[in-house]
Amino acid sequence: MSKAPRARSSLIATVAAAVCGVAISVAEAQQPDFTGIWESYRAAPQGQGRAPGAGAARVEPPLTEEGRRRVEEYRVLAGPTRLNGATFCADYGVPGMMGLPGGYPIEFIQKPDQLTLIYEVNNETRRIYIGDRQVPPEQRLPSRAGYSAGHWEGGALVVKTTDLLDGLDQGASAYSEQATIDERFSLEDVNGTKVLTYQATITDPVYYTAPIKFERRYQRYDGFIIPYGCQDELWYELLELRRAQHEAGEPVEARMSDVYKIREERE
Amino acid sequence: MPRNKKTFVAAAFASVLALCAAAAMAHHSAAQFDFAQRVTIEGVVKKFNVTNPHTWAVVEITDDKRGTREAEYEGHSASHFYRAGYTRDMLKPGDKIAILIAPRRDGEDGGFIQAFTANGKTIGFGGLSPETGRRTEGASE
Repeated sequence: MSKAPRARSSLIATVAAAVCGVAISVAEAQQPDFTGIWESYRAAPQGQGRAPGAGAARVEPPLTEEGRRRVEEYRVLAGPTRLNGATFCADYGVPGMMGLPGGYPIEFIQKPDQLTLIYEVNNETRRIYIGDRQVPPEQRLPSRAGYSAGHWEGGALVVKTTDLLDGLDQGASAYSEQATIDERFSLEDVNGTKVLTYQATITDPVYYTAPIKFERRYQRYDGFIIPYGCQDELWYELLELRRAQHEAGEPVEARMSDVYKIREERE
Repeated sequence: MPRNKKTFVAAAFASVLALCAAAAMAHHSAAQFDFAQRVTIEGVVKKFNVTNPHTWAVVEITDDKRGTREAEYEGHSASHFYRAGYTRDMLKPGDKIAILIAPRRDGEDGGFIQAFTANGKTIGFGGLSPETGRRTEGASE
């Protein structure tokens, strides 16, 4: 093939880019594809196999007086067994799920107008809407994942998460309904490993006198997501109780509270 | 030379615990178990329910002190069982099983499953605390 046609098409592309907006073309060219399954990043085995920062000294969050009161109150509510919503199949929420609690993988599915994140535990899902098509603010139902709007800044997806429910159980990242979370997703190459870096900055006047930061790194997971139906099991256990009543010729009247009672007796 | 059964079980557990990487979980409240202790129990499977968020096993055990009875054991999530190599046809009621447990603090029957051997196969979870997801103090390396 001669060089002339290629040079001509390149010239046409350049002219088209100039007409349609070069900035957009360049930005799109830089956008990474996060699609795939990720797990917590483990540093190369020269050290102790720990992720960077894992052994860093814990920084005390800049709590307000009210923040300190709420943190202390939650400690009392959780009790000595450190009661945990996940035991009752509640979602971890954001940023809790982003820490991959328990070491399960997370799946990212990227489309031009939406990044969908599915954590293996409870199939917990969050959607980040990218671009102009957004849910009007007054129609956003608060949730533990909040409402996330994203846009591209070079190779990074920059996200603002609002409309959150009370995050009193978010551990070191506890927050109120007034919190907003600024997030950033980017890809980099670390010694030949593709690393996805997630950064979160939580701003909450109720809990904190200054924003607090949270960072996680992920690496590709060469496996599959395993179905995780936490609440399904409760339903089966209820049906099992009712089947036992039916087979014994008793009134079929077991309730979900009976399932919980049996679970508590085991513990 | 015939292999000593208990030595075999202990060796199998040790190698699995050494090989296990980061199987972990963070959604259990497991204050009733002592993760610094390791006890091996042997018995017959009555029920082995590999589910989320907890696995539950009922095993018939026998000893001189308390005779024969059924004891319940808790374990990691179904996801962790399958990632550790468990397969759906691995166990059925009536199978003999040896389980390495973190025993209950109150000394009653029961415990948290750290590894088990049945039908010639050993599955282990690396001695990680179900509460923190981190390696527990005193856990086998």
